[in-house]
Amino acid sequence: MNSVAESKKYGAQNGTYGNGVKFERIRRITGYLVGTVDRFNDAKRCEESERVKHGTKDNA
Amino acid sequence: MFTSIVKRDGRIAQFERAKISEAIYKAMHAVGHGEIQDSERVFDHVYEILESNFKDKRPTVEQIQDAVELALMKEGFEDVAKAYILYRASRTRTREMKTGLMRIFDELTFADASASDMKRDNANVDGDTAMGMMLKYGSEGAKDYYEKYLLAADHARAHREGDIHIHDFDFYALTTTCCQIDLIRLFSGGFSTGHGFLREPNDIRSYAALACIAVQSNQNDQHGGQSIVNFDYGLAPGVKKTYRKSLISNTVKAFKLLAPECDISKDSVKLALEHIKQNTGTEPSIKANDEFSAAAMAWLIETTNSEITAKKIFEFVAREAYAETDAATYQAMEALIHNLNTMHSRAGAQTPFSSINYGMDTSPEGRMVVKNMLLATERGLGQGETPIFPIQIFRVKSGVNYNDGDPNYDLFQLSCRVSAKRLFPNFSFIDAPFNLQYYKPGHPETEISYMGCRTRVMGNVFDRDREIAPGRGNLSFTSINLPRIAIEANKDENAFYNNLFKKMELVCKQLEDRFEIQARKRVRNYPFLMGQGVWIDSEKLGWNDEVREVLKHGTLSLGFIGLAETLTALYGKHHGESEEIQQKGLEIIGRMRKFLDDRSAEKGMNYTLLATPAEGLSGRFIRMDKKRYGIIPGVTDKEYYTNSFHIPVRFHISAFDKIRLEAPYHALTNAGHISYVELDGDTAQNPKAFEAVVRAMHDAGIGYGSVNHPVDRDPVCGYTGIIEDVCPRCGRRENETISPEKLEELRRIYPNMPCLIK
Repeated sequence: MNSVAESKKYGAQNGTYGNGVKFERIRRITGYLVGTVDRFNDAKRCEESERVKHGTKDNA
Repeated sequence: MFTSIVKRDGRIAQFERAKISEAIYKAMHAVGHGEIQDSERVFDHVYEILESNFKDKRPTVEQIQDAVELALMKEGFEDVAKAYILYRASRTRTREMKTGLMRIFDELTFADASASDMKRDNANVDGDTAMGMMLKYGSEGAKDYYEKYLLAADHARAHREGDIHIHDFDFYALTTTCCQIDLIRLFSGGFSTGHGFLREPNDIRSYAALACIAVQSNQNDQHGGQSIVNFDYGLAPGVKKTYRKSLISNTVKAFKLLAPECDISKDSVKLALEHIKQNTGTEPSIKANDEFSAAAMAWLIETTNSEITAKKIFEFVAREAYAETDAATYQAMEALIHNLNTMHSRAGAQTPFSSINYGMDTSPEGRMVVKNMLLATERGLGQGETPIFPIQIFRVKSGVNYNDGDPNYDLFQLSCRVSAKRLFPNFSFIDAPFNLQYYKPGHPETEISYMGCRTRVMGNVFDRDREIAPGRGNLSFTSINLPRIAIEANKDENAFYNNLFKKMELVCKQLEDRFEIQARKRVRNYPFLMGQGVWIDSEKLGWNDEVREVLKHGTLSLGFIGLAETLTALYGKHHGESEEIQQKGLEIIGRMRKFLDDRSAEKGMNYTLLATPAEGLSGRFIRMDKKRYGIIPGVTDKEYYTNSFHIPVRFHISAFDKIRLEAPYHALTNAGHISYVELDGDTAQNPKAFEAVVRAMHDAGIGYGSVNHPVDRDPVCGYTGIIEDVCPRCGRRENETISPEKLEELRRIYPNMPCLIK
């Protein structure tokens, strides 16, 4: 660990890693990407959660 | 009969004739219509109205003012009545001024961003930091001021009540939205950032570094994003310069080792290159040129007196110079991505909103730039994170990169592979007829450009000879709450269109008011954008000149949101559900476009139609409409209105049908558009399936599109891909810990994992 910030980022604690560290979920909202859904406003967060996948078979 | 009235704060006061007739006279005087005796007559009329309406009950101040309005109109003073109404509205605003803003500041100060939607208005501004908050104070304060002092009363009301939304309202009186930056022009001869002068760059690393600085500097002069129109063409000269330098230094090295007696210095190589250029007109290039090679070999043989040595030197230099240039270009692209993801603008609250367009340059140097940009993107940031910036846009064009055998087909395939992993690049399509109409082969300035979030600026009624991308941008845009117009029309098509055109007229007027503020600025108000000649024709202006005329190359855009909800409110279905309704949708958007085309022709300025991205807006309109109209199925029954003309996100439809249905709207929305397709992880990882979706977009006439798929990452083990609940690599759930032994074990299998243990 190089710094306090890094050990926080990777959740270093008692020799283990990951304590309190969430997964990053990158999504596109208005053409640009956002590093994590946490920063979305309520409406966009809701929109993102309701998106359904589009099939690529003609009958999908 | 009443003798007292109720004041605004509820207190009772004496009814005073003089006060009222004086106010009436003041209004008459302001308009220049009416004398004292007229005001007395109007007052008598007011008194009659009040007497019959209230008898012994006390009227309120507002009720008295209503009576004054009515009396003025009845007595033939319509013009005075209008002035009186406006005066009342402005007094109302003055009173409101004392309340709202401080409450907003209070929320900004004490609420956490996770609890305050206002602080997450824009996902790329961190509302929790000191500078982010400072920006928010400024932004909320500015909005309050504009609404109360600057905006026409009807525009302010329409914005406040959610009939329309004036985007980037906090910058209303300050600047314009965005610009498409031409790097070649900017770099030629060097430029000044306002904080120092930068010489014309001399190798690919400095080209890339300066490109970032250009974006950063320009971002501070505007409220929107910045787009580089010619990323490949613009950086190619940097590759060329790097190659030449590397060729010279490697030649010196090779001579030192193989023919030290020749005593070759950098200067002697430069001289030889000069001769070759004079005799053959050729220069060093990363792609071997026969004529240059023959001339170089001739010089080497003449100098070393040995064909064998000459050949050895030649081959060494060719190989090393290429490899060094390729590596330097990769590093430069990697650094550019890092810079654009970490550098600050706007007092540290944001990273610049940067976009780069590329894919069409078939020169070996331009190709090297794009290849390495894609590879660096694929690799990710320091610990393998997916880069958020720059937004990358790969221009697709048949004959250049779309088909097998096209010179840049390899780059198109690579771009699909990278996009399948990193979500970028997005794809723009020059072959779409509305983009193709501007394209002239051999003129990169006629290649369509998109600002990352979708803005597009190309046609130019102000100057038909300058229908080009570089140096132009959007000036401002305002969106219409389309679903509300539909709800209020109550299934009556004519009522819908009547109100729609009224709203469009209102928006155009408001855009014109805003333009008037923007146009009065001087070059010095935009030290980089105008001062450094980034904006078209600004180099012809002096420091204190007004920017009015050059701004007319920009666009005034009217946007819309929620076509799907609009159609549902009017016809009971949206355009994904019925071909007939799709035609209705196209008619609405087509008529909107026609309205703006007509206005453009009339005014000689660019009024364009935008498929609004609607990040902040998606929740704002619907919240208000829910309050007004309650829950209407398919219209107000969720938390957001659907993005522009998109098929609703929760509607099940195949990728190809979605593309087919959305494509015709791209042709109509000349201020910008984007379509998304959502793929599941497995499909996205199948290169054929991914490319098939992009090809479907191309063939359907989509202008700008991208493919969404889940990109998750576990920061601890660095796994990037889809993570449901458990990380497939390290087996961790969110928040769970993992031992250093396990991490070391994984590192033996995955050497690129983040290095936590030092």
